[in-house]
Amino acid sequence: MSSAYEMLWAEKYRPKTLDEIVDQEEIVARLKKFVEEKNVPHMLFAGPPGTGKTTAALALAHDLYGENYRQYLLELNASDERGIDVIRTKVKEFARSRTPPNVPFKIVLLDEADNMTADAQQALRRLMELYSATTRFILIANFPSKIIEPIQSRCAYFRFKPLPKDKVVERLMYICKNEGVQCEKEALEEIYELSEGDMRKAINILQAAAALGKVTVDAVYKAIGYAHPAEIREVITKALNGNFMEASKHLRKLMLEYGLSGVDVIKSIHKEIMSNNLKIDDRLRVLIADYAGEVQFRMTEGADDEIQLQAFLAKLALLGPRFKSA
Amino acid sequence: MKKSIPWIIKYRPKRVEDVVNQEKAKELLIPWIKKWLSGNPPEKKGALLWGPPGVGKTSLVEAICNEYNLEKIELNASDFRRKKDIERIALVAATKRPLPPKKGRIVLLDEVDGLSPRGDEGAISAILELLEKARNPIIMTANDPWGQHLRPIRERVLMVEFKRIPKTKALPYLMKICESEGIYCEKQALAYIWEKNKGDLRACINDMQAIAEAYGKITLDLAKALVVERDRTLTPWEMLQHLFYAKYFWQAKKAVTSTDLDYDTLFLWIAENVPKQYGDDPEDLWRAMEALSRADVYYGRIKRRMNWSLLPYYFEMLGPGVALAKEKYHKRARWSYPEKITLLAKTKEQRRIREELATLLSLTQHVSKSYAKAEIIPLLKFIAQHNPQYFARLALGLRLTDEMIKFLAGKEYRTVIRIKEKLLKEMEEEAKIRAAREAKEYLERKALEVVEEEKVEKWEEKKEEKAEKVEKREKKERKREERRGGLTLLDFLNKKK
Repeated sequence: MSSAYEMLWAEKYRPKTLDEIVDQEEIVARLKKFVEEKNVPHMLFAGPPGTGKTTAALALAHDLYGENYRQYLLELNASDERGIDVIRTKVKEFARSRTPPNVPFKIVLLDEADNMTADAQQALRRLMELYSATTRFILIANFPSKIIEPIQSRCAYFRFKPLPKDKVVERLMYICKNEGVQCEKEALEEIYELSEGDMRKAINILQAAAALGKVTVDAVYKAIGYAHPAEIREVITKALNGNFMEASKHLRKLMLEYGLSGVDVIKSIHKEIMSNNLKIDDRLRVLIADYAGEVQFRMTEGADDEIQLQAFLAKLALLGPRFKSA
Repeated sequence: MKKSIPWIIKYRPKRVEDVVNQEKAKELLIPWIKKWLSGNPPEKKGALLWGPPGVGKTSLVEAICNEYNLEKIELNASDFRRKKDIERIALVAATKRPLPPKKGRIVLLDEVDGLSPRGDEGAISAILELLEKARNPIIMTANDPWGQHLRPIRERVLMVEFKRIPKTKALPYLMKICESEGIYCEKQALAYIWEKNKGDLRACINDMQAIAEAYGKITLDLAKALVVERDRTLTPWEMLQHLFYAKYFWQAKKAVTSTDLDYDTLFLWIAENVPKQYGDDPEDLWRAMEALSRADVYYGRIKRRMNWSLLPYYFEMLGPGVALAKEKYHKRARWSYPEKITLLAKTKEQRRIREELATLLSLTQHVSKSYAKAEIIPLLKFIAQHNPQYFARLALGLRLTDEMIKFLAGKEYRTVIRIKEKLLKEMEEEAKIRAAREAKEYLERKALEVVEEEKVEKWEEKKEEKAEKVEKREKKERKREERRGGLTLLDFLNKKK
């Protein structure tokens, strides 16, 4: 940590070229072939978070276009762009811009494509066809099944697997060495367990722990607190105890102070409900999961995420005490 | 055209049988009045006539007075807000005998639901006192008698419900008025007016008169152009009162459609107070929240697709959905102004900074804004709190603005800024040293270049001297030619070259 400028490690240690990617060998081999032939099909990268999908796409662009690859790559995030119209305008503009010198096409990288509605995906499919002469699309998704058939069939499909423990630990170890940070091996293993094969998350936890000094198991446990599952759990527990008012006050704090979107919150809630940390009746788990799903759907249709979550908490406050007394 | 008297007074029912379609109410009220008249007063000294506006509550009272020769002493809600007023007027009216030829008196207190639960407590106790001492029938009217504050009154009076008048009964009645006025009138026009006024007969008659006086006829086209839905504007507090104590679908829908509030604010008012009102019963609370959730879904669809035809469903979930969620009685809670509005105003600045931060991070870290908000911002906050020194470096590397640093570092803000400035100064000094070194190198290079340039200059000077010589020679030649008086053929050819 000697230079004045520091970076976030997840970005600093993101492999720049296909050669630097240590895992996902088969995928890398296929991508290298595309680079060699300077011919890339539309592609669908699917897999859990933090397994190298975005990294592979960026590295591919780097290897195709060289250092200045950024001007031949349009990066979009489906969950940030307001609707397919914005995406259409941006793609149209991009397709008109300068073409790269040695490669006959540019690349549109569309992250979180599985967050698009089926209608938006249909529009996307038409876009892909319209500009196929000059652009290639790389779609990134956590759940490929949420991508409509006609798009899937137009894409070369790459499935990213969760990274194995030894690869993650090895990478964390390398980062520590490079940064001059002392670390315990058990601490790195603990990070792996907590991040469930999500490399970005693992590196984030590592950096938070390193900010405390030495990367020890204790530091890791302290560092994991930077995200909010603990607070989410509190909201759920309060609601399940029948205390709707307290739970909803806490929820408002989470949303306003941390700026979490409704979908973020319901996803975290869902994760929390499925985890073993929450000791509840499995039959209750089923009921809650069903309603959480309904609420998440209503948020995509509704106007005010908070009211949907409050309705969810009201349901918990109704069901929780019943299962407790039973 | 002569300004005529309002039809609503002109065609007021003279006899009880003229009151349209309130047979049930008459069955209850007439025997009660007869008891009074027989000198054998009923146990309940008061009657509360309740139901939607314009269905004949006051008309029935007037018809009774007319038919039984009674004197009517009427007080409006605005007259009996203060205990003193009621005591002065009503008590006298209720206890003293009338002047002949009137056989008796009826005290009519109109619109008792207009009394506010907080401000008019004195008025309510005065009414109770009146009911104690009354020696004449006390009749009250209300659209919504279910407010908690009216409970003591409800318990001491005969409750008489007035139903909405069905179309089949209302239309012939309206038609008869047109006939007696001798005005051409389309049946569909009356149906339309009736529809717009939701069965409020009084409002229908007023609308008919307005059209007839201006155009001399009542057609569907005129009705469509002229009749607007009546919205009596409720304050947010009144709206809550009407909503939470609505017994019927129409009452609740009317409550939420009769305010000035825009749709978002209206929603916030109700969302704020549903938990307060229903909070003591998880079942009722959940049903009401579920109704709000559905209302929000309709509202989202309306906004997203600009599909305003869905608006009625929004109001129906927001109003009746919430009102009819209750299965048991809830006493009036402490309602409040929507906290969210205040909070959103307070946190506006913070939200703007967070949004900018998320945008910056999404661009540099290749993640979505929501990921930046959920994962990276908390990570940065954690680092800022536990290691300001290190965070200052990150702030430089990520090119965070000072307000972003303040947002992330909170209490540690000053420390971080101090470190950041120190780092910047160090870098500046380094840069100065580097610049000095570079300047020195530059000067050395420049010195060499000067030597070179001098050589070039000398060469150029020589060239110029040569050119001058050539010019002088040419001048001499030209002068010679002039002296000779013309060009020789040879000169000409030379020049052409």
